Amino acid sequence: MERIESKDQLDQLAKEFRYIVTDIMCRAGGGHIGGSLSLVEIIITLYFRILNLKPDEPRWEDRDRFILSKGHAGPTLYTALAYRGYFPKEVLLTLNANGTKLPSHVDQVITPGVDQTAGSLGQGLSCANGIALAGKLHKRIHNVFCVIGDGESQEGQIWEAAMFAAHHKLDNLVVITDYNKMQIDAEVEKIVSLEPVVDKWRSFGWEVFEMDGHDWDDIYDTINKAMAVKDKPAMIVAHTVKAKGNTCYENRIECHFISIPDEDERNRVIGGVCVEGEEEPFEFNWTQGK
Amino acid sequence: MKLHEKELRAVYTDTLIELMTENDKVVCLEADLGKSSGTVPRVWDAFPDRFFDVGVAEANMIGISAGLANEGLVPFCATFTPFATRRAYDQITISIAYAENPVKIVGTAPGVTTAKNGATHMCFQDLAIMRAMPNMRVYCPADVYELRSMVKYMAASKKPEYMQLIREVHAPIFDENYQFDPSKARVLAEGADVTLVTTGLTTQFARKAVTDLKKESIQAEHIHYPSVKPFDADTLLDSVKKTNAVVTAENQNVIGGLGGAVCEVLAEHYPAKVKRLGAQDRFGEVGDVPYLSETLGFSAAKIASACREMKGTS
Repeated sequence: MERIESKDQLDQLAKEFRYIVTDIMCRAGGGHIGGSLSLVEIIITLYFRILNLKPDEPRWEDRDRFILSKGHAGPTLYTALAYRGYFPKEVLLTLNANGTKLPSHVDQVITPGVDQTAGSLGQGLSCANGIALAGKLHKRIHNVFCVIGDGESQEGQIWEAAMFAAHHKLDNLVVITDYNKMQIDAEVEKIVSLEPVVDKWRSFGWEVFEMDGHDWDDIYDTINKAMAVKDKPAMIVAHTVKAKGNTCYENRIECHFISIPDEDERNRVIGGVCVEGEEEPFEFNWTQGK
Repeated sequence: MKLHEKELRAVYTDTLIELMTENDKVVCLEADLGKSSGTVPRVWDAFPDRFFDVGVAEANMIGISAGLANEGLVPFCATFTPFATRRAYDQITISIAYAENPVKIVGTAPGVTTAKNGATHMCFQDLAIMRAMPNMRVYCPADVYELRSMVKYMAASKKPEYMQLIREVHAPIFDENYQFDPSKARVLAEGADVTLVTTGLTTQFARKAVTDLKKESIQAEHIHYPSVKPFDADTLLDSVKKTNAVVTAENQNVIGGLGGAVCEVLAEHYPAKVKRLGAQDRFGEVGDVPYLSETLGFSAAKIASACREMKGTS
């Protein structure tokens, strides 16, 4: 695959991703829109500019690994996998349908391209530790990327894993915190604060970066810096906006999981997929998009 | 020194070293109880690159093991039974069993064998909760020969598996030729008066009970289940069709474990009266193994007594 470098192309991809993620959730009657849309630029950057993959050989030994520990953002990952050719785009329309291969939380057994099952929060980072450790044991040169949530970081297991990765100098591990500052019940700051989150990770022995999780250059440059770190795991605290790009829900506390009871609500929420500076809502044409 | 003169944990360690020598995919994990499992210092010294002590962090140990298994390694991870099962139950369920990552979990010092550590460490529900987990297999070896064969079987199997590991020396039941097969229970004594079903520690106790009962001309058919899941229903049914009376004994709560498995099979296929010995829905306490097994009701004497009672009921 040609790596995508043009901002116009990246912007176009982000528009399509936001429409598709919103649309497939609406068709499924609901979904975790907030934490899926906050990750769009990060996942596009990983899957179109960073990760070394062979979509026709999903378990290729030398591929870079990606563990979506906040497994409820599956729809954004599925969109990236479809665009990279792991399965046809129309499969995205089966999200959460009976018998689907695309469940709301990511599943390594049924979805081609998903490296690690996740969904029960706090577990994916430990699995990423094991995967990174296996990379070291096998003397492979691939990188292991893992995305955790800010709410997820309240799980004690995250900090068990944080200690272990630093102790074992897992410098093939790059972890990104999707710091959209909201969780289900309220703002993270109101529930149990992560702050000072940068200092916390640094004190656990990690090299820590911050980035704007919606800025193409910043994401790309920061991930590259994180990959270059030696003798330590790297944490990138990505400042993101929950439900970014959907005006119905962007940065609203009720965006974690939305229910779409009827056609009117579906039209309203789909109509919320807007791009700054553009007057008309964006619409993705599934027929042409294939 | 004969193999059966060794502690079971020493044989677990010997076997792991043998496997790790043959196969560089086998790795060993501990959560600060490696001295108790027997792997510290021997496995650590022999294979410093494939031994990981994660510290007091069982959930993380399970996740790391899942990641290692996902990459084709064969992780054996051990800690005390309560921490190896109930403490990390959701991690085992999702990261291992549901994800089909074939990790080998070893629960040491099961049930009363944790003895003076007392109730906090005395897990009576690991067989029940691990058995209730889809994709998980559940094993309890009764002596060193079975243990050794089981550990080798687990290293070769592509399934998530859980094994109880009693640490201390136990009398030999099998010999060098023993081959573990999870689909087969072992008939250790034949008889038509009562079917006696045991696993792990209670298989040891039942041997004495069976001998004592013979002196009274009571012939118990003693079946040992090295695998509680998968559960060999045929061997049980063949026996119960002769005896029509069953005693189960386990180093566990009577709810959901071996006795539970027996009752499920019989209720569906051949209803018969069953007496379940084990902790009667209570927690443990500090004490030695003879005291605890007597108090909780699954010592050799209690097993013999239950067999006498059940014999007359068929």
